[in-house]
Order: sequence, then C-alpha cells, then structure tokens
Amino acid sequence: MLNEPIDNAPCIECGLCREVCPIFTILRREHVSPRGLAILADRGIASAVFYQCTLCRACRVVCPVGHDPAGEQVRARVVAQGVETEANRTMIANIRQYGNPFGPLKEGEIPKTLTCC
Amino acid sequence: MNLERLQTLLGPENVSTAVEDKIVYSRDASRLEGECLAVAWPSQAEQVAALVEWARAEDVDLAPRGAGTGLCGGATPQRSVVVDLSRLTHTGPVEVEQRRVQVGAGVVLGGLNRRLAKEGLFLPVIPGSHRAASIGGMIATDAAGLRAVRYGTMRAWIEAITLVDGMGRLHHLTGDALDDAVGREGVTGFIVEATVRLAPLPAQRTVSLLAFDDEASLLAQRDKWLADPSTGSGQAPRLTALEYLNRHAAAAIGWEARPHLLAEFDSAGGEINDPARIADLWCARDGLYPVLARSGHPVIEDPQVEGEGLASLLAWLETQEIPAFGHLGLGIVHPCFRPGDDRITSLYDQVAGWGGRVSGEHGIGLKKKPWVGAAFRAEIRQLKETYDPQNVINRGKLC
Ligand SMILES: Cc1cc2nc3c(=O)[nH]c(=O)nc-3n(C[C@H](O)[C@H](O)[C@H](O)COP(=O)(O)OP(=O)(O)OC[C@H]3O[C@@H](n4cnc5c(N)ncnc54)[C@H](O)[C@@H]3O)c2cc1C
Ligand code: SF4
Ligand code: SF4
Repeated sequence: MLNEPIDNAPCIECGLCREVCPIFTILRREHVSPRGLAILADRGIASAVFYQCTLCRACRVVCPVGHDPAGEQVRARVVAQGVETEANRTMIANIRQYGNPFGPLKEGEIPKTLTCC
Repeated sequence: MNLERLQTLLGPENVSTAVEDKIVYSRDASRLEGECLAVAWPSQAEQVAALVEWARAEDVDLAPRGAGTGLCGGATPQRSVVVDLSRLTHTGPVEVEQRRVQVGAGVVLGGLNRRLAKEGLFLPVIPGSHRAASIGGMIATDAAGLRAVRYGTMRAWIEAITLVDGMGRLHHLTGDALDDAVGREGVTGFIVEATVRLAPLPAQRTVSLLAFDDEASLLAQRDKWLADPSTGSGQAPRLTALEYLNRHAAAAIGWEARPHLLAEFDSAGGEINDPARIADLWCARDGLYPVLARSGHPVIEDPQVEGEGLASLLAWLETQEIPAFGHLGLGIVHPCFRPGDDRITSLYDQVAGWGGRVSGEHGIGLKKKPWVGAAFRAEIRQLKETYDPQNVINRGKLC
C-alpha cells in the first residue's frame, strides 16, 4: 500500500512549474504538464497520460504551494479503473516474479536497458 | 467541423480532440472555463495562417494560447479550437551591439533571460510568472510586472511583430502599428514572432524591505523613493522594483503582519546586498499569489490607480480585510478574493471614481468585460474590422 502524501496542497493551476517538467519541455503539450496532470487527476480521469510522468517531482520542488503530483497513487487508481499500459503491466509482473523490472537475468547480468535521467 | 482537413494541414499528431486535451485546455490560470472543441499545435507561421483559413471556411473560433498563465480567461475557449503556440520556440542570434533578439511567440521568458545573461543582457519585463510566461502572451497582454517601475511594460521593449491576422494575412508591424497587437489580447491575430529589445543586466542589485504601521506612512515612503531613489547614500542608485504587500499578504508568506514595501535598486543603496537573501525574498514574492490562492483567495484582480485615488483604494482594501499586494511603483494592486465575493463588483465600480482603470496588466479577457467603456468597445470593433472582419480569433473576448 502506498503512503498518501500528508496534507497535499491542491494545485492552483498557476502553471509556474511547466518549464521544469522533463516531459512537458519535450512534448509542449499541456496534458502532460504537472498542471495538466493535476487537473485530470482532480477529475478522476482514467488515462494512460499518467504513465508519461517520470515521477521525478521536479515540479514539486518549484511549486509555490508545494503540490505533489503523487504519480504513484494516481497510477494505482488508474490501474484499479482498468487503464494500464503494456509496459507498466510487464514491469509490475517482472518485479513480482523476478524482483526487478526487466525480467529474468542470468547470474551476474546487469540489465542493459537501465538508464537514468 | 471538418477536423480531417485540419489534420491534413497541420499533420495528424498536431491536432487533437482527445478528452484529456479538451479538459486541460478548457481553462487558463484564471480557472474560468469554456468549451474546447479541439487543440492545435502549429510550429510555423505558415501553419498558423493555414489554421486561420480553415477556421474561416468552417466559421470556427480560434483561441490563441501561450503558456496559459493569464488571469482573466483570455485564453479560455468558448466553443473554440485552442491554438497552443508554445511550439513556436525558434530564437535568432542575440545581436549584442544592437541589444535585440528575434524570438518565436512560444519562447518562455525565463529560458530566454537565462540565455541572454551570458551576454550580460536581459528582457527586463518580469511578471511574477516569468518562469513560464511566453513572449507572445506577454506581448498580447502588454505585461508589466515586478520591474515595471524602472523598465515599463512590454510595449517599450518591442521593435517588430509578425502577426497572422484573421484573414490569414501576414503583417510585419513596427512603430505605431505595434499598438494594433500589443495589449490586444489576441483579438487582432496571432503574434508568431517578435524582435525584442534588451537591457544590460545591472552589475549589482540591492534591496530594502520595510514594514510600516499603516498604509499612509507606506505611501509617504513610496512617494519619497519615486521622487528620489538615492536612499540618502550619496550615490544615485535607480529604483528597479517597488512592491507592496498589505498585512494579510505579508502574513500569508510568513512575514510580520504589517504593510511592507520591497524595493530593489540597481546598485548599492538598499539595506540587503547578500544575493542569496535577495533571491529568497524574490522567491517568496513570486509565490505570493499561489500562496494566497491556496489559502482560499484564488480570484486575483489588478486595478491600477495613481495619486490620491491609490490611498483610497488601499484604505478600502484594508477596511474590507482583503489580502492585497502589487507593483506599487505603478499603482497596480492585486487584491485577492474568495470565489463569488461580490466585493469584486464593488471594487471595479469604484475604480473610475478613484481615477484608475480596471486592468493594470492582466488584461480584460472574459473576466472584466462588464467594466469596459463604450470608447474601448468602439476601438476594438474598429480593429476587428481591419484585422479580423469574420471574427474567427478570440470571439467574444474584451467586448
Ligand atoms: C503567479 C502568476 C503571477 C503573475 N504575475 C504577473 C505580473 O506580475 N504581471 C503581469 O503582467 N502578469 C502577470 N501574470 C499574468 C500572466 O502571466 C501574464 O498575463 C502573461 O503575460 C501571460 O502570458 P502567457 O504566455 O501565459 O499567455 P496566455 O495566458 O496563454 O494568454 C494570455 C492572452 O494572450 C493571448 N495570446 C497568448 N499568446 C498569443 C499569441 N502568440 N498571439 C496572440 N495572442 C496571444 C491569449 O489569447 C490571451 O488572451 C501572472 C500570472 C500568474 C499565474
Ligand atoms: S503544480 Fe504547483 S506550480 Fe504547478 S501549476 Fe499547480 S500550483 Fe502551480
Ligand atoms: S513528477 Fe512528473 S509532472 Fe512532475 S516534473 Fe516530473 S515528470 Fe513532470
């Protein structure tokens, strides 16, 4: 069970965080911006858009009210509503079965696809 | 509405009717909401012109949008296709000698100024939303902001504008013709590109933060600084910002609950010269509106009043216990209200009597239409006739 962020301030939609979001700065499309995600989450929308968020929380660092996008909780809800990407399904299944997101690894093998921003 | 045609014109990936897009583009930072039919993301002026042609043929309204940080519903659609201009991000070479640069409408002020700092230059119009606001949106609203007491509004920093009007025609505006686009909130067309003038970055910044017992003594200090910013230091520093917080606003960001003035100077003279402390003070100031919004006062207004009227405005806000702050050097004040507060009407009904105007910097948009006068309406209609006779851009905004 994921912890709920304590006293998460609601987003007031000022948009000040747009330019720190690594996904927004590439796509320049409001629905993947922290503000867009907050609006959609607030309305209980079940959408694969939530999987675009990297969960980096750069937006929270600059947010004047300290809004946390709480991507993990939002995704848990979205999964419960039946919306999940194939990549997420595979990743979760691999973690459950093999203890890592990439699936079976040979003894001593390092996952080649592991990258970090 | 033939969206397939639009998708052919712009590329299918640049037009959307997805429910997620329609929801998030139905409002701007004012949270005034309207119906978004679709969203389009042009990345060149030619695509904007094609969009206009399409809208004329379909008789559909287009709502230009920059960063959507506007506070009066200017970018809110009303059964419109929202045109998000934030992909117009090309930036020309910085002309250091001439102190100017050509930028696409979607270029963001914060990023531009970071780049210009390497050349010792900046675009000195700094709204509280400087981290996110687009150059196109700032021109369309004639943004003012934190340093307007020294540098004025966006109008003073524009050399040329490329505008796509409501007939799909391209205009290269300079001189007096700039007034047909600056501060017109998009009703005359899409600003796709602009040449902006730049200022040298001051070598030093210092600030003074003063708390007062009441607004009368605060206004006396304001007038003193505006008349002579030398602060008695024997030097001649120039005032670059003069920000006001009433006691409610000051308390909201953890300062003593007294009226405050935050003054900035472009050289020694202010009491605080530690850059880290100065950055902290400005960071707190930038977060002021969001913090007040979070505390239940999200409806922000922006009357501008000078002279004796300013004292009356501040006194009225004080008796009503309304949190307020603003760019006091220019007489722009931002009272913040709870949604549905009928004192907003009362405020704007009094502004003319105080010798002021209903919008100092945010614009009229949808929100302040009830308070615009007949002369303003006639002026906008005349501009519409010239630039957008079929009324396909920002229909129903301003008047
Ligand atoms: C926290 C906060 C602080 C703020 N502080 C200030 C401040 O100090 N001073 C100030 O002046 N404002 C301030 N604002 C208001 C807002 O940021 C400014 O009005 C800004 O200039 C809007 O820019 P934008 O790119 O977000 O435009 P948007 O909100 O997207 O659009 C604003 C208007 O311009 C039109 N428009 C946008 N782009 C174009 C274009 N390329 N061509 C034609 N029309 C266009 C839209 O249709 C709309 O009418 C603040 C807002 C917030 C949330
Ligand atoms: S997350 Fe914070 S910074 Fe971003 S739009 Fe919401 S309130 Fe503003
Ligand atoms: S946490 Fe998600 S929404 Fe926030 S900045 Fe990172 S990617 Fe963007």
